[in-house]
Amino acid sequence: MSVYKSRLKEFENLIKQDEIDIKALKKFIHSGIPECAKYRPICWKLLFNYLDPKRKNNWESHLERQRNNYRNLIKDFCIPPSCKDVDLSVDHPLSDNIDSSWSTFFKDNETFLLQIDKDARRLLPDISFFQEPCKYPCDIVVNSDTEIRLHHRVAPSTLSSANVERKGVGIKKINLIVKRAPENYQAMQKGQEANWEVVERMLFIYAKLNSGQGYVQGMNEIIGPIYYVFASNDEHAEFAEADCFWCFTALMSEIRDFFIKTLDETDSGIRGMMNKLTRMLEKKDIHVSNRLKEQGIFPQYYSFRWISLILSQEFDLPDVLRLWDSILADDSRFEYLICVCCAMIILVRDQILENDFEHNVKLLQNYPSMDINFVLSRANQLMEST
Amino acid sequence: MAKKTYDLLFKLLLIGDSGVGKTCILFRFSDDAFTSTFISTIGIDFKIKTVELRGKKIKLQIWDTAGQERFHTITTSYYRGAMGILLVYDITNEKSFENIIKWLRNIDEHANEDVERMILGNKCDMTDKRIVSKERGEAIAREYGIRFMETSAKANINIEKAFSELAEAILDQTASKDSNNENQVVVVDRKNQEKSPAYRSCCTS
Ligand SMILES: Nc1nc2c(ncn2[C@@H]2O[C@H](COP(=O)(O)OP(=O)(O)O)[C@@H](O)[C@H]2O)c(=O)[nH]1
Ligand SMILES: [Mg+2]
Repeated sequence: MSVYKSRLKEFENLIKQDEIDIKALKKFIHSGIPECAKYRPICWKLLFNYLDPKRKNNWESHLERQRNNYRNLIKDFCIPPSCKDVDLSVDHPLSDNIDSSWSTFFKDNETFLLQIDKDARRLLPDISFFQEPCKYPCDIVVNSDTEIRLHHRVAPSTLSSANVERKGVGIKKINLIVKRAPENYQAMQKGQEANWEVVERMLFIYAKLNSGQGYVQGMNEIIGPIYYVFASNDEHAEFAEADCFWCFTALMSEIRDFFIKTLDETDSGIRGMMNKLTRMLEKKDIHVSNRLKEQGIFPQYYSFRWISLILSQEFDLPDVLRLWDSILADDSRFEYLICVCCAMIILVRDQILENDFEHNVKLLQNYPSMDINFVLSRANQLMEST
Repeated sequence: MAKKTYDLLFKLLLIGDSGVGKTCILFRFSDDAFTSTFISTIGIDFKIKTVELRGKKIKLQIWDTAGQERFHTITTSYYRGAMGILLVYDITNEKSFENIIKWLRNIDEHANEDVERMILGNKCDMTDKRIVSKERGEAIAREYGIRFMETSAKANINIEKAFSELAEAILDQTASKDSNNENQVVVVDRKNQEKSPAYRSCCTS
């Protein structure tokens, strides 16, 4: 039997058990998931603790509950008041009552929904996946008789307010203005929605639920790979949105400090993380470290993005996924991330020592394509020696 | 002897709300192309272009920033070394225009006093969706005594011109300073640059 085959067999045997040995599984995933297209979704669900490795017989009921919970969130946050049973005499778009559900509805448009909309549309433009129709669109949204899609609320060139027709006394009819989809994006027909629209909805609901933090740019790059992994796998696609939402929430609970400005200077904040990288580089390769310092190339020129997006913008998607396998499977995920970042710098050390300021900034901001396994094995070495 | 590749180095900065087209403007200028989908800028990006002005080769080092509030601590640290700042709004987006005031205040707080500023009303190709009139752009520029231009990264309108006018203004400034104080302008060549970290900017002290 080939090494690959025996590895695959061992792996399948691991996840077949009623009680999965998560420690053994993590070790396995760290060095790569065999038949990753098939098995990555289940592995990630385990790594995000969305599925409890010890209680397989609970999975079904747990998933059902979580998917229902998510569906309720969609109903709560994505269905405008006009489509719910609201008493229009007291709650209408022109109401001065600040508690009016309309007033929150419009405030969202102005603040984070606009930003989410822009970023969801420009997520991973190198692949067509996010512009393609979602295989399992959200029925409540796409089949509604009223246009209730999120991006219609913030479509350009239209007012972000509703049209209120006054007929006689009182308000008779409220239309949400029919809005045009922006030029570059094909409007999906009724009954369909694109994958980026699904991402937009998840980010919107996340921001509503975590209103203190709201939406921060870059969250789209974190949720993108997770959604892609689930939605592009036939067995996992049907509930990709709900499952992705909860896994994203779990991941964000670990990295939320990267996205909060007031925590920048703390250990778990972005500046703290960049400092860790600086210190590791000093220890592992003083020449390169000195060179970068001499040239005035500060870590925030490149590693701000590397760390806060878990490297999702630095490599092609398949490599990002492979990288995330190892990071997620590591017991000290973000220490390992720092090791990967440090490995990336060391692997281009000769160029750094040779180049001038601008070439070095460009090199680090547009990291050259490289065998991802190469990067990982270097990171493993660094991790072992710390 | 190393060959001298440029005479002057100007450090420029692009700021403005997210989505107004900063990355597209920079890409149009540096690569003469337009791509409608750019991933969102996280933190700060960097491009170089050398232009020729009045017989001098001027290297422009241009920093593109993320617009969202979250990134301000990280991006404002670049203001200090900038010699020119391009402040961009989107003519189809009222909010981005209103925020120009906010961005100007940011410059006051974080940039050098004598930094050259220019306001750009971008996406002027989208005439049917225009919300901010050219007059309003001109008015605000006049009020603050700043240069103004409407641009389109997509249709390639005024992009070159914006950068070269800004560069020229900086050149005027450095030239007049030069006569007062020789140390104000650092003339660099490749060889110098290798050795000295101080080449980065003539404005950092
Ligand atoms: N029509 C038009 N669209 C533009 C222009 N410049 C940028 N855009 C679009 O505006 C969006 C945001 O551009 P981007 O450069 O990423 O904005 P940034 O966030 O300020 O860097 C993209 O979808 C671009 O295609 C322009 O001059 N005309
Ligand atoms: Mg940008």
